[in-house]
Amino acid sequence: MRCIKCRRPANVEVRRHRSAFCAGCYPGWFRDQVERAVSHDRMFTRDQKVLVAISGGKDSLALWHALLKLGYQADGMYIRLGIADYSRRSQAKSEAFAEKHGLTLHEVDLEGDAGFKVPDLAQERDGKPCASCGTVKRYHFNKLAADLGYPVVATGHNLDDEAATLFGNVVHWQTDYLGRQGPVLESTHPKLVRKVKPLYRLAERDTAAYAVIERIDYILEECPMAKGAKSLEYKDLLNRLEESQPGAKHRFLVGFLKQGRQAVKSAEPVVLRECASCGQPTTAEVCAYCRMVERGKRKAAVKAARYA
Amino acid sequence: MDAATVGEVLKRLGLHSDAYLVVRDEEILTRDVRLKSEDAVDVIPVISGGAPPRPFPRGRGA
Repeated sequence: MRCIKCRRPANVEVRRHRSAFCAGCYPGWFRDQVERAVSHDRMFTRDQKVLVAISGGKDSLALWHALLKLGYQADGMYIRLGIADYSRRSQAKSEAFAEKHGLTLHEVDLEGDAGFKVPDLAQERDGKPCASCGTVKRYHFNKLAADLGYPVVATGHNLDDEAATLFGNVVHWQTDYLGRQGPVLESTHPKLVRKVKPLYRLAERDTAAYAVIERIDYILEECPMAKGAKSLEYKDLLNRLEESQPGAKHRFLVGFLKQGRQAVKSAEPVVLRECASCGQPTTAEVCAYCRMVERGKRKAAVKAARYA
Repeated sequence: MDAATVGEVLKRLGLHSDAYLVVRDEEILTRDVRLKSEDAVDVIPVISGGAPPRPFPRGRGA
């Protein structure tokens, strides 16, 4: 296989585009894709300061790296979730990346801030805290960005993440979620910061290849709490389909964004108000995060009493 | 595994080519590259995940 740009032996094949690139040409192609998404979906401009949600994994670090190389102003934010060794290692990778490139990395310590860790939030139903962990991340990324005046938060969600989410929402016909799924979530409240996903057209394999070629030191292992998560099952199913039909994931997601989303979009706007407890935007009297904090504190106290 | 291509090796291992990178001497290999029996390669998983991304849902708070 040869690089479509320079004809040297290729290193990375992008089957859905019927393309392949050598290690020298690949990073440029990858960054072009990021740039295209940013400008096509009007995510942000070079005059705006972007807050990148950092996990220490390949996607968030590759996104931060690519945005900086493209000349965007991007700071990072990392949340210490308290998932034992995994969190310690991902924190070390995030801090090392920021230090190496001379970047600002804001950090939030969940246990210090809220009095519990993500493992305390495991659901009784499936023993997994993944859904609650998502609430924790969304809350803190939004709050920190709003408090520090960042106009936009960028996350490393890629094509596989988005296609798996879409698949899950279709399987369960969650039309509320379907109507709002997209690469840009607009701000509809002064305290709700715009969210964007500049990697949504790039596959997980593309970001991993970028990280390897650019020698980005990321945490390779999967979050131990995510084992058996539904999203991983959906990704596996979609990869099986991709194997026989290259481009299926891309067509599924982009086709939905172009044609399907409009059909399920609700005409009524979501009314947001401020949480009675913390003041952050929510649709309920007390926001999901504050309700979860109470639950998490109770669970942490029960656990502490058990081992006392 | 002698004289198999990267794609064939992944297939024999039951791995999806979209879910892994195969790396030899810090170089990523495309699926048509033929491996020699003495080659040592790393098979790097690329899948990550847990909670799917969620917009602010109606009626459940955020």
